Amino acid sequence: MKPEVLKLLTAIVGKDNIYTSLEDLYCYTYDASFVKADIKKDLAGVAVYPGSTAEVAQILKLANMEKIPVVPRGAGSNVSGGSISIGDCIVLVLKRMNRILELDRKNLIAIVEPGVITGQLQSEVERVGLFYPPDPASLAFSTMGGNVAECAGGPRGVKYGVTRDYVIGLEVVLPTGEIINTGGRTIKNVTGYDMTKLFTGSEGTLGVITKIIVKLIPLPDAKSTMMAVFPEIDQACETVSEIIAGGLVPCSLELLDNIYIRNIEEYAKVGLPTEAGAVLLIEVDGDSEVLAKQIGQIEQICQRQGAVQIRIAKTKAEAEELWRARRSAFAAVSRVRPTIIGEDATVPRSSIPAAVRRIQEIAAKYNIIIAILGHAGDGNLHATILTDERDREEMRRVEQAIEEIFAATVELGGSLSGEHGIGRAKSKFITLQIGEVGLEVQHRIKLALDPNNILNPGVMFGV
Amino acid sequence: MERSFASWEKEVIRCIRCGACQNVCPVFKELQAESTVARGRVKLILGIINQDLDITSGFIDKMSLCLMCKACVPNCPSGVQVDKLVEAARKEIVEQKGLSPLKGMIFRFVLKNRRVFNTGMRTGRLFQGLLFRKGPSGQGMLPRMTLGIDKRRLLSPLASKPFKSLYPEIIKVPNAKMRVAFFTGCMINYIYTDTGTAVINVLKQNGVEVVIPALQNCCGAPVRINGDYKTAQEMARANIDVLLKEEVNAVVVACGTCGLTLKEEYAELLAEDQTYADKAKQLGSKVKDFTELVVDLEGFQDKMGSLPLKVTYHDPCHLVRGLKVKDQPRQIIKSIPGVAFQEMNKPDTCCGSGGSFSLYHYELSTKINDNKVNDIDQTGAEVLVTGCSACRMHLIDGLNRQNLAVKVMHTAQLLDMAYRAKVHPIEKV
Repeated sequence: MKPEVLKLLTAIVGKDNIYTSLEDLYCYTYDASFVKADIKKDLAGVAVYPGSTAEVAQILKLANMEKIPVVPRGAGSNVSGGSISIGDCIVLVLKRMNRILELDRKNLIAIVEPGVITGQLQSEVERVGLFYPPDPASLAFSTMGGNVAECAGGPRGVKYGVTRDYVIGLEVVLPTGEIINTGGRTIKNVTGYDMTKLFTGSEGTLGVITKIIVKLIPLPDAKSTMMAVFPEIDQACETVSEIIAGGLVPCSLELLDNIYIRNIEEYAKVGLPTEAGAVLLIEVDGDSEVLAKQIGQIEQICQRQGAVQIRIAKTKAEAEELWRARRSAFAAVSRVRPTIIGEDATVPRSSIPAAVRRIQEIAAKYNIIIAILGHAGDGNLHATILTDERDREEMRRVEQAIEEIFAATVELGGSLSGEHGIGRAKSKFITLQIGEVGLEVQHRIKLALDPNNILNPGVMFGV
Repeated sequence: MERSFASWEKEVIRCIRCGACQNVCPVFKELQAESTVARGRVKLILGIINQDLDITSGFIDKMSLCLMCKACVPNCPSGVQVDKLVEAARKEIVEQKGLSPLKGMIFRFVLKNRRVFNTGMRTGRLFQGLLFRKGPSGQGMLPRMTLGIDKRRLLSPLASKPFKSLYPEIIKVPNAKMRVAFFTGCMINYIYTDTGTAVINVLKQNGVEVVIPALQNCCGAPVRINGDYKTAQEMARANIDVLLKEEVNAVVVACGTCGLTLKEEYAELLAEDQTYADKAKQLGSKVKDFTELVVDLEGFQDKMGSLPLKVTYHDPCHLVRGLKVKDQPRQIIKSIPGVAFQEMNKPDTCCGSGGSFSLYHYELSTKINDNKVNDIDQTGAEVLVTGCSACRMHLIDGLNRQNLAVKVMHTAQLLDMAYRAKVHPIEKV
């Protein structure tokens, strides 16, 4: 990075909010994805932590003028490689802009800066009886800005939708340094194109989000949790389809396969039968009077489909105990092999049984371990590849397997990514799903907003 | 064969860089740079192992910015032992670059040699009045002039006589129900002798005979945590020999760091030396924190007077996450009649001391401490009880900086007060 540029950046953010040492910059060569940066060519030129929209605008204006790539970043918990440094770039970290600006109970909205931790917003709104449902696994540390940029999901997606369904307005700094406001405080708003939805899930390629307006809903008054164990994974998958078809909408419907079950049991001792093919963890929420009835209906469906064990939590503590199995899932399988790659191919819900079979066939074909855990209620499967990054030969097989999983997903009418994003990890597969023309249209939108291609180049469109 | 630094790669690559450590790391909470969170440290260590990076002063600085509070370890979904990795990195730094002359002198000459240490500490207390003045509300002392320590830094004075010189080596009780060895640790021996005295009083009251082995020396934790394994190993062997010689039911500690060192870390430190590794395990099986021992003593809650005090408790990192002692001190405090116990919001976050961390990174360590002090203040407690002398000193410093008149003491001291209140009711705090 040119010394003049560093000087100007220092003047914008102050000397305490800029990092240039090798050791500091080395720590922006990764995020939570499996994308590997090469220190020789990917090390950033500088990392800056602006404190206001005005500072972000000045930084982008400067970068655009100098044609320096900018990589926006929140907590760096991105799982598709969208927040890693890419050579002599500016890493723009928005964590200092972390205030909840407004909690408007009359209009049921909250206005936040991008650096607010999602979990913190949730506990603040829940304190006043309101609810912000999107619940990515990273919610305790990931930021609202990142959640919006990636359109994060989570287990509650099956009933409550994803981040996109709650964002109704944004303040965005464009790559050219101009500031625009999209949407607003109203639920209904059709003035012009829906720019709010365009920026949501744009993965930091179209603008830098500096303010977010989200809608809130009333906090459901109660929850009920149950777990059903099935001898065969097919039975669990059929159960999911039947629950959905029966008009029941649980707020979480999570599937764990046998590899997960065995490891969770070994690790956390929650009383799962290790020979079981699959476990479904089901939670319903809403008015306490209807919950018992709903759980009863779901229980009947599970029994019809051949569940060998059903546990319904009677107390909050028992519900916690059931969730402990799900929460320890990741830690449990991480003991099997040192490297874990989590994919998030998503299929129409009715295709879950077929998708699970295909993934298992692919695992057998390439002789690798793929465990399956999924937000089965919304078709979002997390195929978890357990491997060892030091074993190059195995890693080649892993890559081939991932390509085949993607092809199978698209064939089944699904999406390459449900909630993780395309980022740098899947950019080469994007046309598989959206086609050449689809890509060309997206490219034109990108150039219209970012003529010099400075914002997060490489993400979505590849290099 | 000693474990090579490169062999830690297996542990390092288990980090999936999810970022969950951002939620709990007290250093990251203040600094926010990615290189100052557990995930960043682990990545930097990988950088050294795969030769992307060299051991530069920048790397050494990043490795020093860890409190060793272990908050990230139980919080890590993959269970990466970040504390062990940082320690391995510090060991590698010492092996490749050596220790700073000051640390070298302190670790290899003073702490290791009981006599030198003792003489230094005895001489030191004669002259400390020249350099320090008394702190407010009678707690601690403040530097009179710049000593390379921040002038606001409140330190506790050296005791007029070391703890070990106040007692005979064996403290007999009639009809003893058990016999224990008391490993005092440095801070109790030289600074907080009041904690040591309370430990003895409580154990005597409960019919426990106490041996205070004269030849025990520093446990070596500060030396090991700073990467000087050779010296730490020598200190470990010396303590193992001294403590195993005693015929006792338990070895009692009143400091989480000393406790964890004796209970688990000696065995790891001496893993390559089969004879001593076995001895270390034998010693480890006998080590108990003071509060662990007390709650198992039948009738410890009898004969207490009433203490009309509002009390809160701070969990020392190495006691709660190291020795896993969490309930016992609370059980003791709550058993005292008259005591109103008020839990903090986050009782187990680090106070910011980190032993020598607070001397090298004072500004930062005070910022971390400010969060703790605010949390203490919220409880409205008059007495803050804790189980570690280093926490005690750092908390007194923080409370002083924020002008809060909260009295800080070890669990043993509160319990001793309760016993004394039976004889002389309503003692003034």
